[in-house]
Amino acid sequence: MTQQFGDAVNAKVIMMIGANSAVANPIGFKHFLQAKDRNGTKLIVVDPIYTRSAAKADLYLRIRSGTDIAFVYGMLHIIFKNGWEDKEFIETRSYAMDQIRAEAAKWTPELTSDVTGIPVDQIIQATTLFAKNTPSAIAWSLGITQHSVGSSNTRILPILQIALGNMGKKGGGLYIIRGHDNVQGATDMGNLADTLSGYYGLDDNAWKYFATSWGVDYEWLKGRFFEKKWMNEKGYSLAKWYQGVLQEEKTYSSAPIRAVWIQGTGITSMSQQAKIKEALDKVDLVVIAEPFVNEAAVLTSRKDNIYILPVGTQFESEGTVTATNRSAQWRSKVVEPLYESKSDEEVMFAFAKKFGFYDQFVQGMKMDVKDGKVVQVKNDFKWPDDAVREIARTIKSIGLSGWTPERLRSHQENWHMFDPVTLEGKGPMKGQYYGLPWPCWDDKHPGSPILYRRDVPVAEGGMGFRNRFGLEHNGVSQLADKSVTVAGSKIEGGYPQLTKENIEKVLGITLTEAEKAQMGGSWAMDFSGLIQQKAREAGVCVYGNAKARTIVWEFPDPVPLHREPIHSPRWDLVQKFPTYDDQPKNFRVETKFKSEQQKQDWSKEFPIMLVSMRVVNLSGAGMLERTSKYLSAITPEMFANIHPDLALKHGIRDRDMMWIHAPHGTKIKVKAYHNHSVTADRICLPYNFAGVFQGADLSANYPEGTKPYAIGESSNTITNYGFDVITQISEFNAGLCRVEKA
Amino acid sequence: MSKEMLKDASLHMGRRSFLKMAAIGASFGAGSAFASSDSIRPATEEEVKNPFPGSKRVKTICSICSAGCGIIAEVQNGVWVRQDVAQDHPISEGSHCCKGIDQIDLVKSTQRIKYPLKKVDGKWQRISWDQAVNEISEKMLKMRAENGPDIVEFLGSAKFSLQQAFYFRKFAAMWGTNNIDHVARI
Repeated sequence: MTQQFGDAVNAKVIMMIGANSAVANPIGFKHFLQAKDRNGTKLIVVDPIYTRSAAKADLYLRIRSGTDIAFVYGMLHIIFKNGWEDKEFIETRSYAMDQIRAEAAKWTPELTSDVTGIPVDQIIQATTLFAKNTPSAIAWSLGITQHSVGSSNTRILPILQIALGNMGKKGGGLYIIRGHDNVQGATDMGNLADTLSGYYGLDDNAWKYFATSWGVDYEWLKGRFFEKKWMNEKGYSLAKWYQGVLQEEKTYSSAPIRAVWIQGTGITSMSQQAKIKEALDKVDLVVIAEPFVNEAAVLTSRKDNIYILPVGTQFESEGTVTATNRSAQWRSKVVEPLYESKSDEEVMFAFAKKFGFYDQFVQGMKMDVKDGKVVQVKNDFKWPDDAVREIARTIKSIGLSGWTPERLRSHQENWHMFDPVTLEGKGPMKGQYYGLPWPCWDDKHPGSPILYRRDVPVAEGGMGFRNRFGLEHNGVSQLADKSVTVAGSKIEGGYPQLTKENIEKVLGITLTEAEKAQMGGSWAMDFSGLIQQKAREAGVCVYGNAKARTIVWEFPDPVPLHREPIHSPRWDLVQKFPTYDDQPKNFRVETKFKSEQQKQDWSKEFPIMLVSMRVVNLSGAGMLERTSKYLSAITPEMFANIHPDLALKHGIRDRDMMWIHAPHGTKIKVKAYHNHSVTADRICLPYNFAGVFQGADLSANYPEGTKPYAIGESSNTITNYGFDVITQISEFNAGLCRVEKA
Repeated sequence: MSKEMLKDASLHMGRRSFLKMAAIGASFGAGSAFASSDSIRPATEEEVKNPFPGSKRVKTICSICSAGCGIIAEVQNGVWVRQDVAQDHPISEGSHCCKGIDQIDLVKSTQRIKYPLKKVDGKWQRISWDQAVNEISEKMLKMRAENGPDIVEFLGSAKFSLQQAFYFRKFAAMWGTNNIDHVARI
């Protein structure tokens, strides 16, 4: 998220697309409602379903799922045609917008309407409202990301904001509303198959940098892997790890997956439940470490070699959590772990001992930086404070250097001293923003509540766009124009990211020999902090001041393109806007695209669109809330919302049970709720249930006394095949099905 | 044992021993001490002000969604007795959704996993932590010896703290694999 929720009051228009925060993130949504009340902010909601958020909108557009790129190009078409774009911003702070303009030229309101299902006049109305009333902001969530074109979706919306000059401003930007409480932080910390913590990637430089900070020998670390090459290779992702077990699709790894270790992931919130069940049945070992039964343990019919370890909730341990606005918050321990529970770190420590790497595992907490080098400074450690310090000295890529335990604790103690609209501190907290939203470049930096502002100095949270993709492309400079000077900067206009090699030239300074000896190779790998120190003195941001690129030349679609979902209800458009070629390898496994999409006209047998929805009382796999009696009472059973016209065509009355069948041969049995939030061409259903599988009640699989108050079919049993071409996220939000009275 | 004695005792004892004593008290049966008419005494001035004398208020953060709402947890003798909204929290400003306000029940739920479990011949069995850690690590190390470290998929959590998440990534790295992920693929 480039903004923070309080800033919503500064937006003239907020367009929410692929998010229903009224129920998924109600306190975030409260800020949008406050903006409506206090500032007259208009709310546009674009969604396949008339959601609770849509009910609060000034303008609701019903989009066909999987056509967001077409819709945004339709907006850009109108914007460029009328000259409503911010020409100066495009010229001075972005790259290759002409290629976007060329693609947008194709997307007339009529074509956009045909593809998206939104009437022409509504496209024009929404675009006019959004483009002519800047600053305007966009909010999105998983409705945008969970598609086979998810990565392109996440690019086209920022492109729209760049075209309108809505980036780096109060009231503008992007509200990328994350799901779980620390999904931002766990992602930042690289609980991911394609990178180490802090998005450092998996190349040798990254591993050497981390080995240094962890206080371990790089050669030892290398020796832990099967062969060195597997150290640099992405692992299996959560989306398709089961193919590492089943190997029905071609895999590339040094070994089959024989064990799965689940520590806090609700596996029934993943697609392809039938495959996951098969894999859980087939592996040699399943380890589950959770406060409540992970329904992986219930889904599988295995008879042995499955363990469940009791782990405390987050109120039974202490640490920090990163909110969706990049603020860090200190979370105090409320009670000691209940029953025989251990905290998550204690579980890791216990196994690290058995696996023989405990000493190396905790070494980083005994280290600190002295004269630019990471050295051991003590013989013991204190959790979590020393881990907080380890993270602060290591993760410079997103600017966590200023997140010291002392500062974060003081923010918690004094949270009443921060302004809810601006997050500015008052009294003793003056000069800091609440939670030091990253980047927080050093221990004096106040945090950056709004990204890419050039009207405030770097030392007060300002910055240009990051110089991440080279100095030039096709002969065009990637640095910001001469006119784009960040307030208070010694350098006029754009400048490159800082390295040991270029710092003297870029900043016009001379380093002493001692400084040269201590300084790391680049700003992101400089334990000495000298690059940041010199940058601060010059009012410069270490990562540079560049243009925002609108094309990604290393992606299959450098310019984002509309591509129909893998299973599309519009066979005619599948021919016109086909998906990608099949992918031989991503995250160690092949993935079908075109061969699956064009195998047959799926819409003949499966004519109904399948869309996920959110409910106010459940989140994620729902296991947490379904153990609450009163939250369960709100949705005591699994259901699907179905338009009465569609339901009655199949003889399904309100509250009848119905089967929903998916193209890959799976089915679920759920209660049909006649409902007008959906049209007759689509149904929507929550994804937060488990405990019933293809009609079979799995109650007997719960350990005694652990069964939640509400169980039901997981919608992910019928989530269609489909994965994003870059990130491999499943296509949860565009698929097909057919229904039948049960 | 009178109610007052229990209360006094509870102030000086850990939660677990208090629960044990409460169980002993209950074993007297409903007809004995608790039900006798003289067991109701006037509430002290302190109790009128606060039903949980000596409790402390802990500032913490909701564990449901990423908005990051503040929570005031009231704790007495190691037991979370009451949840309050954080009126002065800069993000939530005293608001909570229905999920967030129920965090206290989540923690105290009787459906929590209470001890390590292992399935033997289709039946869940209670085991000790030592047995669990020994057996799991033995099996893991055997498979690692047979096929190498890529035999496992580590699935971490979007509910980890930042420190736990950093350490889970390190855990997978030191085991020797990049087969690690959590729910956020994008």
